[in-house]
Amino acid sequence: MHSFGYRLNALLTLGVTTLALMCAMASFSDNFNHPSPSANVQVMNVNWFHKQSSGNDEVSLTLKISADLQSTFTWNTKQVFAFLAAEYETPGNSLNQISLWDSIIPSKERAKFTIHTKNKYRLIDQGSNLRGKEFNLTLHWHVMPKTGKMFADKIVMTGYRLPVDYR
Amino acid sequence: MDWQGQKLSEQLMQIMLVAVAVAAYVTGFMIESFRIMMLIYAGGVVLIALITVQNWPLFNRHPLKWLEPSVADEYSKEPPQQQAAAASSGKKKSTKK
Repeated sequence: MHSFGYRLNALLTLGVTTLALMCAMASFSDNFNHPSPSANVQVMNVNWFHKQSSGNDEVSLTLKISADLQSTFTWNTKQVFAFLAAEYETPGNSLNQISLWDSIIPSKERAKFTIHTKNKYRLIDQGSNLRGKEFNLTLHWHVMPKTGKMFADKIVMTGYRLPVDYR
Repeated sequence: MDWQGQKLSEQLMQIMLVAVAVAAYVTGFMIESFRIMMLIYAGGVVLIALITVQNWPLFNRHPLKWLEPSVADEYSKEPPQQQAAAASSGKKKSTKK
């Protein structure tokens, strides 16, 4: 109040503090969003399935992934990171999770999609346990905010099984 | 700025800032646009800076009343030089005692 610089500093300080409060409120408003997402994955083809020279099984799949994550978007959403993981149990590990595919969804319009794709990341077992293996495909997503708290959730799809013999 | 002006400037700044923040948040929330909230708020802060930080004439409507030079002279009947001499002679008298 005593000088130009004093008043400018007072305004900027109060302005930034108020901005922080507004961002906290914007993040808090995300709690009132109750998303209703859906997803469906089909294994269209087992491209090949063999044992590597290292002794580990590897399989290549063609997947049809369709999902609707539009309801997860709010005014405070920067992007949604989605990834598909194969999950199964082996004698050595109680839970194996392998990411097969992921995508960054930058806007609500792009959050409803169907894609045909070979697995983006390789499905390699720790060992040779994949023949005839039953597995789940789980679609995980992280709703990344413009400011504040990130929300994460998933849909588990069960009932998938790998072939009994190598191809 | 004078004292009243400083108080007015500070109050204006605080009230306007809260009003702009509320307007920005409510508008952004209603139309679901984070970007609009930020734009309204930034624009509002610039506007407030222009109005309250600069020393406009309206902040100088109650200027300080300094005493007139002639009024001050009533309290000292002798010019400053003789006043200093009287003070030093006063000091001498006290040490002699």
